[in-house]
Amino acid sequence: MVSRPHDESALVERARRGDEQAYEELVRAHQGIAFRTAYLLAGNASDAEEAAQDGFVKAYRALGRFRTGSPFRPWLLQIVANEARNRRRSSGRRAALALRAATEETSGDAAPSPEGVLLAGENRERLFAAVNGLREEERLVIACRFFLELSEQETAAALDVRVGTVKSRTSRALDHLREAYA
Amino acid sequence: MPELETALRRLGAEIEFPPAPDLSSAIRPRLERPRAWRRPFLVALAILVVAIGAVLAVPPARTAILDWLGLRNVRVVRVDELPPARPLGRLDLGGELTLAEAKSRAPWLLVPDRRPDHVYVSNVVPGGRVTLLWGTPSNVRLLLTETTGRAYIEKVVQGDTEVEPVDIGEGGAWFHGSHIVMFQDRHGVFREGKARLAESTLAWQLGDVTLRLEGKISKDEALRIARTAG
Repeated sequence: MVSRPHDESALVERARRGDEQAYEELVRAHQGIAFRTAYLLAGNASDAEEAAQDGFVKAYRALGRFRTGSPFRPWLLQIVANEARNRRRSSGRRAALALRAATEETSGDAAPSPEGVLLAGENRERLFAAVNGLREEERLVIACRFFLELSEQETAAALDVRVGTVKSRTSRALDHLREAYA
Repeated sequence: MPELETALRRLGAEIEFPPAPDLSSAIRPRLERPRAWRRPFLVALAILVVAIGAVLAVPPARTAILDWLGLRNVRVVRVDELPPARPLGRLDLGGELTLAEAKSRAPWLLVPDRRPDHVYVSNVVPGGRVTLLWGTPSNVRLLLTETTGRAYIEKVVQGDTEVEPVDIGEGGAWFHGSHIVMFQDRHGVFREGKARLAESTLAWQLGDVTLRLEGKISKDEALRIARTAG
């Protein structure tokens, strides 16, 4: 697990010099978020897995172009997200993934937090419906920012838009959700 | 934090994502980098205009297949020596149309800010191929060739041809030096399109469209023109 940026920079440097083990450590550290990002964009698990795999391989081979010292994750997510979008385009699918809540109880927390109370029962269903009712570009920005908890920079990379667009799109999407969820 | 944003984060924890697979073991066998890409070396610009008739017999001694440029529909094959080639014949670009007619036949066509002098459309490749030409057919300054969908292009390059990844669209590469270009026909066979300028070329991918810009042009100028195509 990569816990500190310093460790990650060292791993990237080693990987650039051809150290495959160093790169595998980076893959293990980021494969979860890469797969989930690809899943959001590709719309199914098998395309997401292929997109994430191909993205990691392309990123490895493109490490020569990676700017030393810059964060690795946004750069990686941009490559993986491109792969995922390509798969969706080539499959001819238009609609993005509709998000679903897990059906089981999500945790064994004895005392639900205030947020948990807020999202109990009907409220949760209404919020899900409101998110799924957003236009695709707004649903994706909400999913990246709040469900995957990507930073604005990472969201911009994954959606191939500017950071300013992420900010404005997020703001618009939240306005629409407030109207639908009110 | 506003209530709605808190609620969304909480909801995120309940999203049903499939379990992430272990990718590190799956990609391990794919992590070998071709040496040529680690240390690309410059060669004098070799302007070699080649054409090759009928089906090109690519030598069996392919030394590397570089298919990871981000160019889904471009396959690059590196060989020790280019196969025998005939001198440049006439360009076989298809029928000439106006730009508006071409756009109507190929709605996916991307046009840069420089208006072409001639526009050709050919159906020899699946999905069609559009070529924009600057100059005259007998004195070509610049060619932009566009294909879409399942049309595949193969580029055969020799050992001293520099192939440099460039950051454009969803992936691109700058080919600096001699190479042969072939388009896969409707039967899945790669054929040289009668004649092809094989000067320095920029190839890139935008959505489903694969573009290649070639001519007597620098990489920077090619990238500048390419970025206006949309």
